[in-house]
Amino acid sequence: MKIQAQVAMVLNLDKCIGCHTCSVTCKNVWTTRKGLEYAWFNNVETKPGQGYPTDWENQEKWKGGWVLDKSKLRPRMGNKAGIMKNIFSNPFLPQIDDYYEPFTFNYSILHSSAKFATPPSARPHSMITGLLMEKIEKGPNWEDNMGGPFEERSKEKNFEDIDKEIYSKFENAFMMYLPRLCEHCLNPSCVAACPSGAIYKREDDGIVLIDQDRCRGWRQCVSACPYKKIYFNWKTKRSEKCTLCYPKIENGEPTICSETCVGRIRYIGVMLYDAEKIKESASSDSPLDLYQAHLDIFLDPNSPEVIAEARKQGIPDNFIQAAQKSPVYKMAVEWKVAFPLHPEYRTLPMVWYTPPLSPIQEEIESGKLGFNGIIPDVDMLRIPVKYLANMFTAGDEKPVREALVKMLAMRAFMRGKTVENIEDERILSGTGLTPAMVEEMYRYMAIADYEDRFVIPVSHKEYAFDAFGDKAECGFSDGEGCGSMQNRLKNLFGGM
Amino acid sequence: MDNYINNLFFTYLPHIAMTLFWFGVITRIVKTSKSLQAESSQFLSKKGQRWGGNLFHYGIILVFIGHFTGLFTPEHFYHLFMTTATKRILAVIMGSVFGTAAVVGITILLVRRLKDQRIKINSTPADILLIVLLLFEMGLGLASIFISAGSSVENYAALGVWAQKVITFQPDAGAVIISHSIIYKLHIVTGLFIFMIFPYTKLMHMFVLPVAYFFRSGYQMVRRGFTKRPV
Repeated sequence: MKIQAQVAMVLNLDKCIGCHTCSVTCKNVWTTRKGLEYAWFNNVETKPGQGYPTDWENQEKWKGGWVLDKSKLRPRMGNKAGIMKNIFSNPFLPQIDDYYEPFTFNYSILHSSAKFATPPSARPHSMITGLLMEKIEKGPNWEDNMGGPFEERSKEKNFEDIDKEIYSKFENAFMMYLPRLCEHCLNPSCVAACPSGAIYKREDDGIVLIDQDRCRGWRQCVSACPYKKIYFNWKTKRSEKCTLCYPKIENGEPTICSETCVGRIRYIGVMLYDAEKIKESASSDSPLDLYQAHLDIFLDPNSPEVIAEARKQGIPDNFIQAAQKSPVYKMAVEWKVAFPLHPEYRTLPMVWYTPPLSPIQEEIESGKLGFNGIIPDVDMLRIPVKYLANMFTAGDEKPVREALVKMLAMRAFMRGKTVENIEDERILSGTGLTPAMVEEMYRYMAIADYEDRFVIPVSHKEYAFDAFGDKAECGFSDGEGCGSMQNRLKNLFGGM
Repeated sequence: MDNYINNLFFTYLPHIAMTLFWFGVITRIVKTSKSLQAESSQFLSKKGQRWGGNLFHYGIILVFIGHFTGLFTPEHFYHLFMTTATKRILAVIMGSVFGTAAVVGITILLVRRLKDQRIKINSTPADILLIVLLLFEMGLGLASIFISAGSSVENYAALGVWAQKVITFQPDAGAVIISHSIIYKLHIVTGLFIFMIFPYTKLMHMFVLPVAYFFRSGYQMVRRGFTKRPV
C-alpha cells in the first residue's frame, strides 16, 4: 500500500445556476494574456450540447484518454512510438476554430471618430490577426441555455443508446449546466503523452502542472487530455492548464472558482488513496467497472490501520485530519451521490459531480406515485437517467438512480421536518439512508457552509522548495515573464 | 577558381563555421536552455501542415543521415561492401527521393506561411527568411544530384575525400574540389552559413528532440513534494 493524498473537488450540479462566475474569475486571474484569450481553464457548458471545444467528448476524433490494448493500458493516441511519429504534425490536435476565434470590439471608434452617417457600432476584430471579422461564428459558451438548434446540440456523445428525437420536442426538452475544469486525474494521460516530461503530478496534493521551463511545445498533451483541458498558448507556443490555483491551495484556501461560486456548489477536500492500485483500477476490463474500481482506490481516513500507515509513509497529520473531514469523501464514498466525469476515459478524474435533479414531468400531476409510494420516481425527472449515466458512470444507470433517489428523499424528508415538523421515516425506506445521514447530507449539500465545503490543509513550508536562491530573478511570472519571447530576445543567444 | 579564395572557403571556412556552431550551441544550451522549443503554428492552421511538416521533417532527417554517412565513411571501409559507383547510385537514388520529399514539404510550409492570414501575421521575418534559406540550400542540393550522376565517379568520390580531409585538418582539403561545379560550392558555402547562424535560430529545436521519452520508465511523472528537494 502506497498512500498518497489528493486535493479533490465535487461540484453539486443540482445547485448550479450557470452564472459563469467561476469562469470569469478564473479568466481574470489566469488567462487574460496574449495567446490564451480563447482559453477558459474553467468553463460552464449547457448540456445537451457539443461543448467547448466543439465535440470534445468524441474520443474517436480527438483520441484522448486511455484504451486497453490487449488488456494493457496505453494512451488512445498510440504507444510511445506512435506518439513520437506524430511529433512533426499532430493529426489529432484541435484547431483554434474548434474553440473559437477570440475577438474584441473597436470601442475606441465610438468616441474618437468623426460623425457617423449611420448609427454608431463597434465591430468585432480578431485577437489573433487584428483584422476585422465579418461575423462572430462561435464563442466560449455558444450553446448557452439551449442556444442553437437541437440537431446541432444533440450531436454529442451522451445521447448514445438514447432515442434522442423525443427530446427535440418542446414539451420534453431538458438541460443542465456542466462546469468543467482540469480533472487532476490519478492516471493523467496528458502526463503520459508529454514527450518532454514537462507535465507532472505533484505527490503532496496531486495537482497536475505543466513546467513552463521544460515544455517544448510538442503539443501532444492537448489531444491526449480527453477533457480538452490543456490549452496551447499560440503566442508562447507552449501548453498551459488549470493549476487548481495551487498558490491558494498551498495556503489552505479554496481555488478562485470555488471561492467565488455564488451557488455554493463546489466542495474541496483531501482524499487518501492507494497509489499502487491505480494501474489495476484503470485497466478494469469493462468500462462499467471503472466507477467501482475508482471508488476502491480510496482509503478510509478514519480507519486506524490507514492512519498508522499514512503516518509511517510521511503524510503530514494535517492532511490526515483534513481527509477525515473531507466533504469529497462524504459525497463520493459515504453517500455515493458524486460521480466522476466520464470514467470510461480511464484517467481516474478527481473532480466529481453530483447529478442534477430536474422538474418532474406531468405524471406526478396525474396522481401517479413513484419510488416507495412517496417520493417521485427518478424516471419522472426531465433529464433522462441514461443521459446522466452516459456522462458519469459509463452508462451504468444503477448508481445514478440510487444517488437521485437519495437526493429526492433528502428533500422530501427535510421538507416534512422543517415545514410540517414531521420526521416521516417511511420516506427513507429503500433509499439506504438514515435520518442522521439525511441531516448530515442536508448540512453539506443544502446549507453548505464555507467551513464544510472547503477543508484544505496548509502545505508544509518546511518541505517546500527553497526559493531563497531564486530571489530577485523571475518572480511570479504567470508562466510568461522569463519564458516570454520578449524576454528571451533580451538574452544574448535568445533566437534569431 | 582562384586558389586563395578556394582555400578560404573550402579549407578554412568549414573550421570557422563549426567553431562558431559549437560555441553558439553550447552557450545557448548553457545560458538559455529554457528557450529551446518547437515553434509549432499547427494550432492556428492545420491546412498543409500535415503534409508539409511530415514530408519536410522526415525527408530532411534522412537527407542529413545520408550526408553524414556518405561524406564521412572512409573509402577503404565502404569498399568492403560496395564500389564507389554503387555508392553513387545509392546516393543519387536516396538523395533524390528524400531530397524531393523535403523540398516539396518545405515548399508547402512556405506557401502556407505566406498565404494563411493567421500564420502570416504572427510570423516574424526570421521565420520566413529561414524557410527561404533552407529552400535555397535544398534546391542547390537537388541540382547537384544531376551533376553527381552525370560526371565521373572520381568527381563524386572527391566530395567524401574533401570532407574527410577537412575533419582531419589536412591543409590541402580545399584543393581536392577546386575544379568542381559551382553548384556544389554554393551548396557547401550556404550549408556552412546555416551552421553558423544555427544557434541563433529556431533550428535549435532539434537539440531538444525528446528521445528520452522512449527511455522513461512507464508513462507517469510524479514529483516529490514531502521531501526536501535538492536545490
